[in-house]
Amino acid sequence: MDEQALIHDAQAGNLDAFNTLILHYQDSVYNTALRILGDEDLAADSTQEAFISAFKSISSFRGGSFKAWLMRTVTNACYDELRRQKRRPTTPLEPDTEEGDEMDSPRWLADPSMTPDQKAEADELEHALQHCLNNLPLEFKTVVVMADIQGMDYSEVSAVVRVPLGTIKSRLARARLRLRECLQGFAELLPASFRLEEGSNA
Amino acid sequence: MNRRDLELLSSYLDGQLKPSDSARLESRLSSDPNLRAVLEDLRATRGLLRQLPMRKAPRDFRLTPKMVRKNPPLPPAYPAFRFVTALATLLLFFSVGLNFLVPQMAQQRNFGYGGGGAPEIFSAQAPAATEASATEAPAAEAPAEEAAPELAPLPTATLSIQDNAREAVTPLAKEGVTGEAGGLDQYDVQNAPAGQEETPPVPPRWQILLAGIALLSAFIMVLMRRISANRWRSK
Repeated sequence: MDEQALIHDAQAGNLDAFNTLILHYQDSVYNTALRILGDEDLAADSTQEAFISAFKSISSFRGGSFKAWLMRTVTNACYDELRRQKRRPTTPLEPDTEEGDEMDSPRWLADPSMTPDQKAEADELEHALQHCLNNLPLEFKTVVVMADIQGMDYSEVSAVVRVPLGTIKSRLARARLRLRECLQGFAELLPASFRLEEGSNA
Repeated sequence: MNRRDLELLSSYLDGQLKPSDSARLESRLSSDPNLRAVLEDLRATRGLLRQLPMRKAPRDFRLTPKMVRKNPPLPPAYPAFRFVTALATLLLFFSVGLNFLVPQMAQQRNFGYGGGGAPEIFSAQAPAATEASATEAPAAEAPAEEAAPELAPLPTATLSIQDNAREAVTPLAKEGVTGEAGGLDQYDVQNAPAGQEETPPVPPRWQILLAGIALLSAFIMVLMRRISANRWRSK
């Protein structure tokens, strides 16, 4: 696939060329949306919205990583979807203490108060990971999805979320720490090779 | 574990540290089991995330023209017809406006100059002068004199017209003197309009032509759009 030629044709309004690009990237884009939103239907809708938006604004693509540009588009589509979801009452991402301050410890992410039904849903490792991802603050989640799930390097992630490299490093480190804490609540699901060490005091 | 160490470990894991920072951290790791444990935890967490299965897209996300509301591609000649339609319409409106305004302005000017006696006198005199010059002037001078009212390039021609006009006016003035006062005005009012049908600045046949061009061009545009839309839909 000659990506540059397809992008050029798509910029000239060629929908067939853009559809070839979609076929190449739709799995990545969908998975990104799925991991950010944690819901298959919403992820599919956001993916479609992202591709429509990408085609309409492809003339603004000025070179560089096309994947990063697409990821930025789908991230924006996910943020829009989450803003729509916000109108519905949801569990706050950062629970407050009795004094009204944000809790410092991310231990709550393990969610020990999960109901048996919720436990059953999180029985598989993937569900456990998604559960922990869902509970990350959005800016952490986006960075960890781009870097660790999509395998993008720091500069690409920086281009996607448009924050400095130092901020990317910081967010990624904190996101990994929070995920580690959360995943300790699902220790029995983790494969032996990935079993997290108990007692390390991060 | 402080935030700085956490960031160092995370960046070290991804090979994003400078060699000097990396060497320093490795030295600390060799002597600090807690630091090593956190590094391994972070590595395991990253490994788990990388192990997440890549889901296949649940449907085909390719776009249809309807999804992006893309208009059918129009023929290259379309903009030319659009320009012609716009220009013809503009000229048509301009000519209609001109034909409407010019007579009114002339009328206002006539009222302003007290019934427009002077211009009508001149207009009444001009044909007489031309006739006089045509009959009295030598044959060699005739072309110059005929051209004079339009071009007025030569002082001699202008002079001859003025002289001839004076001669032509004289009998009229004499009639005015012998007749009742204001006879000249009376002559003008009675004769000038009869001899001068008011012609609009833009002839009607030009307006009809402009309207025809605008309509035809617009019709061709509509036709082009329909043909393009049909071809686009059948794709």
